[in-house]
Amino acid sequence: MGRRQFLALLRKDLLIELRTREMLLSMFLFAVLALVVFHYAFDPKGGADLTPLAGGMLWVVFLFAALLGLNRSFVREKDEGCLDGLLLCPADRIIVFLAKAASNFIFLAIIQVLVVPVLMLFYVHGSTAGLSGSLVLVVFLADVGFSVLGTLLATMAAGTRARDLLLPVAFLPLVVPLLIAATSATTDLISGGAGIGALAGRLGFLAGYDAVFLVAAYGTYDYLLSE
Amino acid sequence: MTTTSEVTAEDTAVTGSGAAARGGWRRLYSPIALFAEAGALLVAGFLLAFWYAPTDSSTMGFSQKIFYFHAPIAESALVAYLIAFVAGVLYLRHQDEKYDRLGAAAVRLGLLFSVMVMGTGMIWGKAAWGVWWTWEPRLTTFLIACVLYAAYFVLRWSTDEESRRATYCAVFAIIAFVDVPITFFATRFLPTGLHPAVITSSGSGMAASMLFTFLVCMAGMTLLLVAMLRLELAHAAVLAEVEELKELLDSEPESHLPTVAGSSSLETERGLL
Repeated sequence: MGRRQFLALLRKDLLIELRTREMLLSMFLFAVLALVVFHYAFDPKGGADLTPLAGGMLWVVFLFAALLGLNRSFVREKDEGCLDGLLLCPADRIIVFLAKAASNFIFLAIIQVLVVPVLMLFYVHGSTAGLSGSLVLVVFLADVGFSVLGTLLATMAAGTRARDLLLPVAFLPLVVPLLIAATSATTDLISGGAGIGALAGRLGFLAGYDAVFLVAAYGTYDYLLSE
Repeated sequence: MTTTSEVTAEDTAVTGSGAAARGGWRRLYSPIALFAEAGALLVAGFLLAFWYAPTDSSTMGFSQKIFYFHAPIAESALVAYLIAFVAGVLYLRHQDEKYDRLGAAAVRLGLLFSVMVMGTGMIWGKAAWGVWWTWEPRLTTFLIACVLYAAYFVLRWSTDEESRRATYCAVFAIIAFVDVPITFFATRFLPTGLHPAVITSSGSGMAASMLFTFLVCMAGMTLLLVAMLRLELAHAAVLAEVEELKELLDSEPESHLPTVAGSSSLETERGLL
């Protein structure tokens, strides 16, 4: 029952994006442009090896690309009066939430798959063999946190006057722990030498963070979407 | 504007005398009494810190004295955030406006205390480590808490409808309170660099006289928080009442004279302000 509603809502979001392509395209362009800007910001004299900074750059880009997407996700619902329709449909609020979080997660993941090779090409010198598996795990866990918390806050932001102004202000300080763990894990991975064992603490932390905010969302989302 | 402030002052006086009239041991909990108690304890703590507690024998020396204020302020800030969290849960449960007011007042005070934590922390950092700012886990956590709870007010001020505003704020206070300890744990993943966490040593190996001084300061600071909270709440209650009265004034002409409702209610409003 819940699964069918979830899939229908998810399909709706993906279909809209597939037809307009506006969100993914702007997220990707933004990410690439930010990476270009980093070159001039961090290497003004040219010729420096920015490999140690690559992990940080990656997460700054992911974070702001995620913000772009999250902001759009509810503005669209609001503009067309779609939210009222969603509220009328006989689905649990939490299903609506999970579908939205899932679509945000998918968009973010698509962008990341496209952006990581660009970053590797631009900034990472040396071998990147053995990087992929652990990096995917780190990114996956961080993305779950981004989309859960981001969807929760985007719902609130859509109901305020400030709208897309509010989301970054509230979202950024809340995801700082996630960012710290993911960035330090990624930097260790890129600079090499860090095995999955050395990352266990941070991976566990990321998973715990996801779990805590999933529970928080489960407990509070009913109230947020009540009117 | 003058009329409104007069009304507020009058109402506060009325509530104040009402609280005094209740009498008995309850009198100890009136805002004014709480302020007096907190003041007495804080003055006592100040005297104890400088004349009774021994000067720290480790590297920090005299600058360690600020610990007696820095740590209690930090503790009070966390208590304020805890109150906001509980108020948020209670609001979602009961949908009672008074919990919303409690939450907002607690966050405001928590923010104030957090800024003071950072101020005293930076002074201490300058004295002990020679730098105004260091990415020490606790200091960093309070910085993030400040930004986070400042966002609470962006959320609050940009939501117009009252019940929605209260719900959003309650949810945000809950999430933010969950996030603060997580942030603290996360900052531990980063190497602290030049400055190891010196503060941890002062927590464990405290002499009895230091502990006593610390507890007096802590009790004083917590009472100060409670006193300010009570004052804020009384203020918020009066403001809510004034809003209600204003609405009553606005709506009355409309019910009697529907045709000139717009202009007359405008005039009433202008007259009130």
